[in-house]
Amino acid sequence: MRGLWVRFGSVEAVRGIDLSAYGGRATALLGRNGAGKSTTMRVLAGVIPPTEGDVLVDGVDVRSDPLTVKRAVGYCPDVGGLVPRATPWEHLQLSARLRRMTGWELRAQDLLERFDLGAAAHRVTGGFSHGMGRRLAVVLASFHEPAVLLLDEPFDGVDPLGVEATQRVIDEAKQRGAAVLVSTHLRDLAMDACEDALVLRGGSAVAALDADELAGEAGARAYRALLD
Amino acid sequence: MRTELSWTELLRGAADLRALLAFRASGLSERSRRRLRIAGLAVLLVTIAVIVVPGYLRDPLHNRRLGNFVAISPTVYLGFVVLAVLAAISSGGGREVVPREQAVAFPVSSVTEHLGALLLAPLNIAWLLQAWTLLGLSSYVAGPHHPELAATTVLVWIAFATALGQLVGWVFEGIRRGPYGIWLARGISGACGLGLGTLVVTDRLTDVLDHSPTTDVFIVMLHGASARIAPWLTGTAILLGLMVLTVVAGLVPARWALNRPQREELRLESGIRAARPNPASDLLAMVRLDRASVWRSVPLRRGLFVLGLLPGGVALAGDLTWDLVTVLPGLVASGGALLFGVNAWCLDGRGALWRDSLPASPRVAFAAKTLVLLEVLLVPALITLVLAALRAGTPNAAELASVLAATLVVCVQVTTTSLTWSVRRPFAAELRSARATPAPPVVMVGYSARLAMTTTLVGLLFSATALAGNALPAVLLAVPLLLWSGYRLAGTAAAWATPATRARVVAVVAT
Repeated sequence: MRGLWVRFGSVEAVRGIDLSAYGGRATALLGRNGAGKSTTMRVLAGVIPPTEGDVLVDGVDVRSDPLTVKRAVGYCPDVGGLVPRATPWEHLQLSARLRRMTGWELRAQDLLERFDLGAAAHRVTGGFSHGMGRRLAVVLASFHEPAVLLLDEPFDGVDPLGVEATQRVIDEAKQRGAAVLVSTHLRDLAMDACEDALVLRGGSAVAALDADELAGEAGARAYRALLD
Repeated sequence: MRTELSWTELLRGAADLRALLAFRASGLSERSRRRLRIAGLAVLLVTIAVIVVPGYLRDPLHNRRLGNFVAISPTVYLGFVVLAVLAAISSGGGREVVPREQAVAFPVSSVTEHLGALLLAPLNIAWLLQAWTLLGLSSYVAGPHHPELAATTVLVWIAFATALGQLVGWVFEGIRRGPYGIWLARGISGACGLGLGTLVVTDRLTDVLDHSPTTDVFIVMLHGASARIAPWLTGTAILLGLMVLTVVAGLVPARWALNRPQREELRLESGIRAARPNPASDLLAMVRLDRASVWRSVPLRRGLFVLGLLPGGVALAGDLTWDLVTVLPGLVASGGALLFGVNAWCLDGRGALWRDSLPASPRVAFAAKTLVLLEVLLVPALITLVLAALRAGTPNAAELASVLAATLVVCVQVTTTSLTWSVRRPFAAELRSARATPAPPVVMVGYSARLAMTTTLVGLLFSATALAGNALPAVLLAVPLLLWSGYRLAGTAAAWATPATRARVVAVVAT
């Protein structure tokens, strides 16, 4: 991603961000509310077109070929991410159909069990708690084993078992060579899962660091300093 | 006395309602406010016109059908109560000034909810049309003298009927939210339907309607038109007192109903849905998800049920001829679109972002929404035609062609218009509660007025073709209208395929 700008009318949500994420590694996008993290993720998912800049996802230009980009990506949105009156299984069926997946049922069942959603596989998601919804959004993003995994606030309101399951999904994606981006407010969890970090402020990138530099007490102070 | 049933709380509820309305109004742009003022002025002008003009048409029309209109007037008055009751029942007791998910953090009392629902009741295409019909009919029957007195009685009757409808609506909603409430509600609805059906089949409906208490209201209105002030004033004052009492009495069932759990909504959200075989095509997969979003939503299920039976029931009871039946599909289609079609992407709710991130052509997603909306409009319209046919007799070729063409044209037209609005002006709406609407109430008024105008016009055009000697005029009229709708639909599909447009719609509905 080179020089990404996203404008909504007079509002500049993203102001010239550069970002490189590599296969087999996880990159954390950190920053306060309104820093531009979710907008950046949406551009990478092919949901929002960039206003300016070059964005290549798995080598494909997101502006000229968003459909191919969507095939390569697994995206967990920051808000909801679930059709309220459809069941988890129906979400998985739609995703599998559109990605031409066969024999996906066992993996889907396994993922649902790992995220403690097996018993809710055939209930409509409108009745889910916030944490259940977040866990299912991670399942939907990862179940087709995408080359690029985009997780926007995957730990938000999720219980410890769900956090562990999400960390495992991230590790598995890295092991198979996928590039992972995690946007979160929870620095500690991000540092556990990621090798690289990009700190955003006011729509711009203010620092690109190794995750180690943001770990622990010293990392917390460094991160706090970058936010002001 | 409970605090919530005291006069203090009534005044406080009214003040809270003003605050909620101000909160709603604060979200309107200057353009929207201007449109709202224009729409309000238009409604006022039409209302004045239907109060004054028909009375002056009597002489030029040589009192044409005056006797018939006098005979049916009490029934039309009664019909307004039936409409008010059904509207309140189908909307779960009445519409919300502020959606439940937005109002959850505020202490909104059942008094505010009740008064708000009463205030929003007229923001409904069927309510407005019925009210204008009632006023226009009364004006024609009463003649040009003292229209202000006659209209005052009718307006008070309309207010009373609306309050009564609201009261019954809350009682029904309270029953529905109780244990076995859904079955009780279905039993009551079935019994009412059976009773009406029995009256129709045994040909006793007219006798029953002739004894309607609304005859007294009609006579009071005639006293006003004849300037017999004492009986008019007495009758109208009694009606006004009843209206105030009904508004206040409605507070009790409103509190009762709103304090009960929303069992049907909870049942739909917690029930197990058996997995179906994997879909055979992308379009089918999308259609299946959209259909589920419609039929698993309480307000949509209930609204479609009412739309499937109410207009047909009116045709059945009113013994409509085929040239009048052509207007009904337009009413059904408009009502169906107002359930969700005018903001079709709200079906995806917060899943819109995820759904748009899936690798599918945007045209497939658009086609799925189009098909689901079209079928949701066509099915109740066809049920209405079947019910109407039970009494309208065997149609000739011109009537059959006109009715079918009118149905197809208005359904395609309303689908096109709804999807255009959905893309142009999306809103975040969950449609979980039976009281939810797909767009803010004031926007819904504009939508309903525009849909009513176009579909009624089309219905009337096909009324004329139904009187022709053969089917050709209906076909010749339908073809260009369908082509025009198809052209507009293609334009909307192209707009939806634009990434920037789609991103805006998806971001709004997923908020």
